[in-house]
Amino acid sequence: MTRLSIERLEKRFDKVAAIRGVDLEVEEGELVSLLGPSGCGKTTTLRCVAGFEAPTAGEIRFDGEPVTRLPPEKRDIGMVFQNYALFPHMSVRENLAFGLEMRKVSPNDVATRLADVMSMVQLSGYDERFPRQLSGGQQQRVALARALVVEPRLLLLDEPLANLDAKLRDEMRFFIRSLQRRVGITTLYVTHDQAEAMVMSDRIVVMFDGLIHQVGDARTIYDHPATRQVASFIGSSNFFTGTVTGRDGALIRLDTSFGTVACGSGHEVTTGETATAMVRPETLELSPAGAEGGFSGTVGERHFLGNLTDYRVTMADGSVLQVQGSANAAFAPGEVVSVSLPAGRAWLVGEASA
Amino acid sequence: MTGANRPWLLALPVLAVVGAFLVAPYLNIVLMSFRVPSTTQAYAPGFTLDNYAKSLFDWLYIEALLDTARLAVIVTVSCLILAYPVAFHLARTTSRWRGVLYSIVLSPLLVGVVIRSFGWIILLANNGVVNQALRSYDLPRMQLMYNEFGVILALVHIFLPFMILPLMGAIQGIDPRLEEAARSLGAGRGTVFRRVILPLSLPGIQSGCILVFILACGSYITPALLGAGRVHTTTTMVVQMLDQFLWPFGAALALTLALFGLIAVWVFTRLSGRAMRGMA
Repeated sequence: MTRLSIERLEKRFDKVAAIRGVDLEVEEGELVSLLGPSGCGKTTTLRCVAGFEAPTAGEIRFDGEPVTRLPPEKRDIGMVFQNYALFPHMSVRENLAFGLEMRKVSPNDVATRLADVMSMVQLSGYDERFPRQLSGGQQQRVALARALVVEPRLLLLDEPLANLDAKLRDEMRFFIRSLQRRVGITTLYVTHDQAEAMVMSDRIVVMFDGLIHQVGDARTIYDHPATRQVASFIGSSNFFTGTVTGRDGALIRLDTSFGTVACGSGHEVTTGETATAMVRPETLELSPAGAEGGFSGTVGERHFLGNLTDYRVTMADGSVLQVQGSANAAFAPGEVVSVSLPAGRAWLVGEASA
Repeated sequence: MTGANRPWLLALPVLAVVGAFLVAPYLNIVLMSFRVPSTTQAYAPGFTLDNYAKSLFDWLYIEALLDTARLAVIVTVSCLILAYPVAFHLARTTSRWRGVLYSIVLSPLLVGVVIRSFGWIILLANNGVVNQALRSYDLPRMQLMYNEFGVILALVHIFLPFMILPLMGAIQGIDPRLEEAARSLGAGRGTVFRRVILPLSLPGIQSGCILVFILACGSYITPALLGAGRVHTTTTMVVQMLDQFLWPFGAALALTLALFGLIAVWVFTRLSGRAMRGMA
């Protein structure tokens, strides 16, 4: 098992900076996702770790040894590509044996290891098929098996589920995750799909514009996003701006144009400063007008989503909050309601620090 | 009756042209090859198999055919070796000079074979550009033409685009991710080329080789001009027969060459097809 360290990594393509200083530690056996919109630098980071891109600055270490200047074939990695990149002129068996041949594994061992890995990815009996004779999901499992059979130090996955249909994608999430746990391999996983990152990862790294905005587990990133971009990329959120007026224990009092909100915060703020807070639509609660501790608003739109109902509530200052409540509690459009925020569910978001 | 039901009617004009100017003359050549040669007229009365017996069993003509085949193989292999790096670069480059490089590769096609052969004569002749340069440095003169070397050199130059284009098409179809996948699995650049790129570009190699081989077998102008009567290929012999008014024998010799070309291509396709199992 290998620990991966990425230190002050930078990558420029001509004049465009793809990565602008990335620091990350991936512990032994951990699965860390790089999550972000396209062009955020997540794939470039992965390709630097794989050795396909030479970083402009910074160091990459496996277990403390620098590998930054090693070519990919010397790094002992296993990689799964978005389009699987199976060798079309080789059978499943030849595809899987390729990495073992490169490592000069004896034919007897090759046979046992192939049999093991093929049963692991549930492809026994497909030895002689060619990639084009397999379904997308099967090709995906061959690609995974090909990367794992060499027992690499590190498993790198580049949007491996993006080409699968939704149902298969859900299955494969759990399949890959349980396989990774069973093998215990340190894994870096690139995705733009927040649900995928949340289901699969020990920790999620959220990147924008070549910078890491936040590193944390799914719950932390969802409940306590570090920046406005993180909050809006993962799930839906309401933002409101106000002035910090003081503290209530751990919480910060934020005076907004529709009332005073008690917010949690991950960073220091000073009284009098202007700050932005976010709150998730499902943490807001609606009750009939005049309820204790709520802010007054008027229901604008109402959409039935099956498991819940989505409201747009216009507040006293004209701002609109998105509120998601149980499907049963019905407030009609035009109705005056009271919107309440449970203490601490609002969270102050910061700016990205370069 | 509507036009839509008879789309083949649209092919009639081209069929008429091809029939009148290609198929009919070809049939005439076939017919001619069975006629009795004569030195006083186009052919004597009656039919015979002697023309074929002579072209297949007379050592002079067998040797010319073998020479032609050897020349064509050398030209094909040289083209393949020279064209591959160019095709690979053109297929993979993202440089803004790509368009320029592409037109440089195609540019030889803009000049006729005769002109290009004359160009090579200016360079390679005994008092040509190269030998004049050698003389000015007091170096010995080199025999660069009137031999196979000159013919091969000029043919390789002339046919290079026909090798580069199909190779480039095949290499462009190879996903660069496959190279990365192979390298991530521990293969160095050489192994990646041998195990991934080369096998996947076989269809391009196959079509390029067939094109160049057939063109080289059938080339006449370049062997005639740069060989200047000292390099004997089947094609130069066919023209000799025509000059001597031995039309029936010339026809038989030409058809023998065509048949040989077809058989060679068929064998080559079978062999290379076996190497391409699992693809397509």
